[in-house]
Amino acid sequence: MSEKTLNLTIEFRSSTGTTGSNALRAAGKVPAVIYGHGAKPQPIAVDARQFAELWHRGARSSLVTLVLDGKASDTALVREVQRDPVSSHIVHIDLQRVSVHESIHARLPVVTVGVARGVRDSGGVMDVITHELEVSGPADELPDQLTVDVSGLGIHDHVLAGSITLPTSVKMITAADTLVVSIEASKTARQVEEAAFVTSEQPEPEVIGQKKETE
Amino acid sequence: MLTPKRVKWRRVHRGRMSGKAIRGSTLTFGEFGLQATEPCWMTNRQIEAARIAMTRHIKRGGKVWIKVFPDKPVTKKPAEVRMGAGKGNPEFWVAVVRPGRVLFELSGVDATVAKEALRLAAAKLPISTKVITREEVHA
Repeated sequence: MSEKTLNLTIEFRSSTGTTGSNALRAAGKVPAVIYGHGAKPQPIAVDARQFAELWHRGARSSLVTLVLDGKASDTALVREVQRDPVSSHIVHIDLQRVSVHESIHARLPVVTVGVARGVRDSGGVMDVITHELEVSGPADELPDQLTVDVSGLGIHDHVLAGSITLPTSVKMITAADTLVVSIEASKTARQVEEAAFVTSEQPEPEVIGQKKETE
Repeated sequence: MLTPKRVKWRRVHRGRMSGKAIRGSTLTFGEFGLQATEPCWMTNRQIEAARIAMTRHIKRGGKVWIKVFPDKPVTKKPAEVRMGAGKGNPEFWVAVVRPGRVLFELSGVDATVAKEALRLAAAKLPISTKVITREEVHA
């Protein structure tokens, strides 16, 4: 992981449940929980604005230093961020205690670099099939993202998870034959029109278990 | 048009549309998506019209995913028929859409084309929607 310091101020909370959590959210905080290393899960609260800023700076796949009462208390990894489906506001955060050199599993985003030859010269379509890959390795050595260079790919070429280069200490957990990126031939204008063809008559669906009328 | 091939029952209860989308509220396949911000019964005709508007705009290239399926039959009684005498005949199919549901996803085109295609698709739908992108979600 990159050498950036991400400090997150936390405070313990006693109020749990919907009412307590909603009160926290109204006060500009986000309810969260921290667990791991055999300790009992601890409900905490973090500042919504501070966390949004950290998330933007790369807290998605980096270690975060938790600051309690002005002192660094733990290092943790953001395991899950729950969002409101409509407003996209963060409603809850899961933090897992992780020590710096501990080997952890993490899901890293796939980022493509360059324009594929098949897209540039032959008008193909690049399809990122797997957007995140699971890797394991020391927490301080995991990259922020997995970069895939697609510039050499022609039509019908693809990149498998096993062919992505990783730092030596990092191991791919996702199956090596998982398709990550593929370049597909573009549909012809006729295929697009055919796909757009609307049948006026709708066939009645078959009812499961209903006997068909015999002649 | 999208219709189920097999169903267990020809007629179903109306159900409720309250609440927000529990599943299907994130981008899973594409880079851009159209997300519902209101609840509705979306008919298969509306879904088809939106899909056609989108695919016509992106022409060749790009890939479209339809993430809602109209699996609920809606019945109607014929005009000028007295009440009673059983439930009407299934007339069309709808997908129950709740706020937050991602309706369509797009990839393989640039942001300007994708956003315009999704705007054209949104114009065919009975509810207000918003365009979401993978970058914004993970930013």
